Amino acid sequence: MLKIESLSKSYDKGKSFALRDVSFQLGEGDVFAIVGESGSGKTTLIRLIAGLETPDTGTIEINEKLVSSIKKNVAAEKRNIGFVFQEYALFPHLKLEENILYGISKLKNKKQRAKEVLELVGLSEMKDRYPHQLSGGQQQRVALARALAPNPSLLILDEPFSNLDAMLRAQLRNEIFRIIKQSGVTAIFVTHDTQDALAVADEILILQNGKLVQKDAAANLYTKPSSVYVASLFGNTIQLSKELQSAFECPLKTDCCHAIRNENIAINDECDYVTNATVLKKTFLGSGTQLLIKLDNGEHLTVVTKHTHIDERITIGFNSKDVLEFKE
Amino acid sequence: MTKHILIVLMALVLFSCKNETKNEDNSQESKEISQEINVYTHRHYEADQELFKRFEEQTGIKVNVINASADELIQKMTLEGDKSPADVLITVDAGRLHRAKTSGLLQPISSMILDSIIPSHLMDTDKNWFALTKRARVIAYAKDRIKPEDLSTYQDLTDVKWNNKILIRSSSNIYNQSLLASIIANEGEEKAKQWAESLVANMARSPKGNDRDQVKAVAAGEGDLAIVNTYYIGMLTNSENPEERKVAESIGIFFPNQETTGTHVNVSGAGVAKYAPNKDNAVKFIEFLVSEEAQEVFALSNFEYPVNSNVKVSETLKKWGSFTEDKLNLSLLGENNKKAVILFDEAGWK
Amino acid sequence: MKQAGSSDIFSIKNKLFRLKRDSNRWSIITLCVVFLIALPVLTIAFKLFNGPGESWTHIVKNLLGDYVSNSFYLLVVCSFLVFVFGVTTAWLVARYEFPFRKQLEWLLILPLAIPSYIVAYAYAGVFDYGGSLEVIQRFFGMEFTRVDVMNRFGLAFVLSISLFPYVYVSTRAFFLNQANNLLEASRMLGVGEIRTFFKLILPLARPAIVAGLILVLMEVLNDYGAAQYFGVNTFTTGIFRSWFSLEEPETAIYLSALLLLLVFSIILFEKWQRRKMQYSSGKTNNQSIYRKITNKRKQFLIFCIVITPVLFGFFIPVAQLIYWAVLTYSSVFHYEFLLLSVQTFSIAFITAAVTVILATLLIFSSRWNRIGFIKNLSKLGVLGYAIPGAVVAIGIMIPTLAIDRWLMDLIEKISGQSFGFIIHGTLFALVYAYAVRFLAVAYNPIESTTLKVSNAIPDASKTLGVGNFKTFFKIEYPLIKTGMLSAFILVFVDVLKELPLTLILKPFQVNTLAVKAFEYASDERVMEAAIPSLFIIFTAAIPVVFLNKLLVSK
Repeated sequence: MLKIESLSKSYDKGKSFALRDVSFQLGEGDVFAIVGESGSGKTTLIRLIAGLETPDTGTIEINEKLVSSIKKNVAAEKRNIGFVFQEYALFPHLKLEENILYGISKLKNKKQRAKEVLELVGLSEMKDRYPHQLSGGQQQRVALARALAPNPSLLILDEPFSNLDAMLRAQLRNEIFRIIKQSGVTAIFVTHDTQDALAVADEILILQNGKLVQKDAAANLYTKPSSVYVASLFGNTIQLSKELQSAFECPLKTDCCHAIRNENIAINDECDYVTNATVLKKTFLGSGTQLLIKLDNGEHLTVVTKHTHIDERITIGFNSKDVLEFKE
Repeated sequence: MTKHILIVLMALVLFSCKNETKNEDNSQESKEISQEINVYTHRHYEADQELFKRFEEQTGIKVNVINASADELIQKMTLEGDKSPADVLITVDAGRLHRAKTSGLLQPISSMILDSIIPSHLMDTDKNWFALTKRARVIAYAKDRIKPEDLSTYQDLTDVKWNNKILIRSSSNIYNQSLLASIIANEGEEKAKQWAESLVANMARSPKGNDRDQVKAVAAGEGDLAIVNTYYIGMLTNSENPEERKVAESIGIFFPNQETTGTHVNVSGAGVAKYAPNKDNAVKFIEFLVSEEAQEVFALSNFEYPVNSNVKVSETLKKWGSFTEDKLNLSLLGENNKKAVILFDEAGWK
Repeated sequence: MKQAGSSDIFSIKNKLFRLKRDSNRWSIITLCVVFLIALPVLTIAFKLFNGPGESWTHIVKNLLGDYVSNSFYLLVVCSFLVFVFGVTTAWLVARYEFPFRKQLEWLLILPLAIPSYIVAYAYAGVFDYGGSLEVIQRFFGMEFTRVDVMNRFGLAFVLSISLFPYVYVSTRAFFLNQANNLLEASRMLGVGEIRTFFKLILPLARPAIVAGLILVLMEVLNDYGAAQYFGVNTFTTGIFRSWFSLEEPETAIYLSALLLLLVFSIILFEKWQRRKMQYSSGKTNNQSIYRKITNKRKQFLIFCIVITPVLFGFFIPVAQLIYWAVLTYSSVFHYEFLLLSVQTFSIAFITAAVTVILATLLIFSSRWNRIGFIKNLSKLGVLGYAIPGAVVAIGIMIPTLAIDRWLMDLIEKISGQSFGFIIHGTLFALVYAYAVRFLAVAYNPIESTTLKVSNAIPDASKTLGVGNFKTFFKIEYPLIKTGMLSAFILVFVDVLKELPLTLILKPFQVNTLAVKAFEYASDERVMEAAIPSLFIIFTAAIPVVFLNKLLVSK
């Protein structure tokens, strides 16, 4: 339903690229996450899709209709895309219901539709309140309801949970995506938090320095990351350097780069590759313990383990199936 | 919210309406050409308005007025060129009338009436403009400190005995420029420059304020002599402010150069615009302004000397006595004006 | 490969494609508005090619040094005084509770309502020989202590005291909106009140202070009446001198170009200074400032500090004017003044409306246009304020007369009848000229309130299917209308006071209070000018009080 081809956007007359030659396609009805560090171009990408900015080159098609190219630009207001802004961008001088009616003023049964979406987000009783009378989470849901009201063909959420505290976050995340799934709309959301992406996205796009580095289902991204960068986004990894490889006596291909996830390191356990080590320092983390280890060949390592009682001398190892392999 | 939009819209409507009506007025007026006259004037006195009204009543010709300084009016007429609606230009000094003439903004007028009433040195040599009233540039002295016998000429004021005693306003004032221009015309540039330099050396303070302020400073003892226009002393003498009347009482008026060239006079005058759409009315209008009836109004209400010799001066002016005026043709003031300004600057006269 | 791709993106052909794609009607509208406003300025700039008049070397040799040193002196001293008056009062009024605070809040704006040349005359009247001070001192049997105000410092003082409200208004708005959370944060860190003010509040308030200060400095450089009367030669008096006394408009235009250069360098210098330290102004904090209540003695002290500029900027000049008005009442007052007030009011109202609409149009159309350089071009719209009114008038007359001539010939050819000027000499030209001159006054408050509205708000509206224009009326207008109203009132007051433009461009039979006051004052009948001046102050005071209500109720 969304097709993007070699999309680029630069600032300062080409001095810096926010987005460089990005191409991908998205199917109908799924939830997509765009993940990347700040400055990776993810916000630029969704603003281009929404028509809030124009690309330097490349094309965007929505439902097989060309909306952006070097010669053409369909205005944002004609794209039928719902957009939930990071700071919600509720109209401060309008009541809740008026905020929602705003985008559907031409609809015949607009009152009915407003009531529906307000019920969907569970804020029916508050329709006469002003935005500043609501909590952050409530404002978030209003913004969602407002974006959903005109039945957009695509819903975009920009960092939807960044303004919420951790407790509220997980709860609201599930709530929001329950609503999105229920409405059946195709949704793209931008986040710098991989936990959010892993939790709710059917498919994840990874951006790095304005380039698309991987697009895959959540499970695949975790098990088969295309680069060290992608792997590190989804948890701590330990690069298997030549010295480490020799310490564990594991023969690996020399033309590749290898890493192992921290959670796949086993301590005092049977493994494919094992070596002896000394624990230099223990830091209690609550759910586990962080260890600073010195391998017998002199290499230092930091790992986290679930074990609570650790002696000074340990064995440490991993299985060959867990080794991640990247072509450099 | 809508209220504000309404206000804005109303303002817009009002705006456009006003313009339209204005335009219609203009076009209607231009159809009945003979019934009006457009006056660009630097004079903005009640007396003038009174006279314009009388003119309207007597002739049925409507007088439209634009008041601004003569410089701005000349600039305006220059830019408007042959389409200018101006019929008559009135200024309060001869220099600017001359400038208007040399810029080709005025036209010669042959009128028996004007020729017979106005002395020849008070009109342009080519009859492009005519004086309406006169003002003399005199010396106001502190009665308690200065004896009038010690005073003689403008030139005498450069004597060292007046060091730190003389008050006079900035050289950007046209009457100062005209005074220096008259000295240039009478005695040449070199002498004029010396005069300006020596006068600057004798000044009691750096030039500031207007003519009234110079007189007040004499009364307060900041200096002993002030070079000022009779016109402003007249106003001071008849001020509503008792303090100012007291000031006027403490000073005496001296007409300088009685034995030589005569006291420098400047005039307020009028000329007919070169492209005047209502030339006949304009001539009629100027003739009216020098008539005895109009000159009496000028003389009585404004402390100016009438150009019409049949008309008596006001009581205030009469007290100062009669004097001999410099008969230099006033066109020369205009011709030498720019030179005077440059001399002032070179002499360091602020 | 990527490198090749990026160079391809910026090929001329692709740039043109994008230019075509990104140009919309708003780009054209922006260009039109900028052209309209910049036309007089460009006309004057074009005249520079004719070279200066023959007296240029004379001016450079004998006068320029004086102009430069006096203008710089005024800039420095006025900046200092205006800063002291404006910022202290803004801070005290925003931060402390003390007797008559509410009244003083709007009284502090009122000095704006008096034309500065009238303030100059009033001060001269107070300190004059036989002036009010002498009369009062004599009444109490005291020795007359003469203070000479008619000098450089006196001029700087008079200009500062009548113009400081520009800084007061902009700075107070900042303090009311932003200062509370800063204060709290600072107190948490255990930093004292005074140190917080100097270390934190003042640097952060800088953009607000500077916005007001630049308006003040432009007015200072532009002042003619007061400088002329006090005998201080500045660029502007020099412009008039070379134009009128030396009869060389070309030289005057050269001088105004120099003046313009001076103004630009001030603005650029400030921008460059500020670039070194990027502040984000943050979001508007709805929480109003918490006012401190101190002990009685301190309250009295604060009251005394705050009332001082009001006393000097408003009460003293107004008292002097009232005294003169009483003396001249019988000879000057005429019911015609009421009519004149209504006429002046309508002109100011229309002009303010037109200027605010133009400024808003310029700000928003340049936002809605997607071409970068046109966006930058829109900044040119504020040029008019830097140029003396009389020079703007010339810049207006040349093009409007050219159009008129063309139209007149055309009409004559078609209808065989001749008509008068259609634009020139009508209210249209006058309002146009005012708009050119005062666009900057309207532009600043509107732009600053617009910047307070997050970009996401109009973006949200667009993604909800509503176009730019409708978004403006439904969303942005309600959020920025306070800014638009304060812009309206500032322009309104400025038009009431405006003189040189009005004198040159006003139509027959149209008159304003300022012109009336000038007619008396230019004829050395300063006392008689008091009544029309008081009418100006009264007409201006109404919206000024209204402006304050607006700023506070926000």
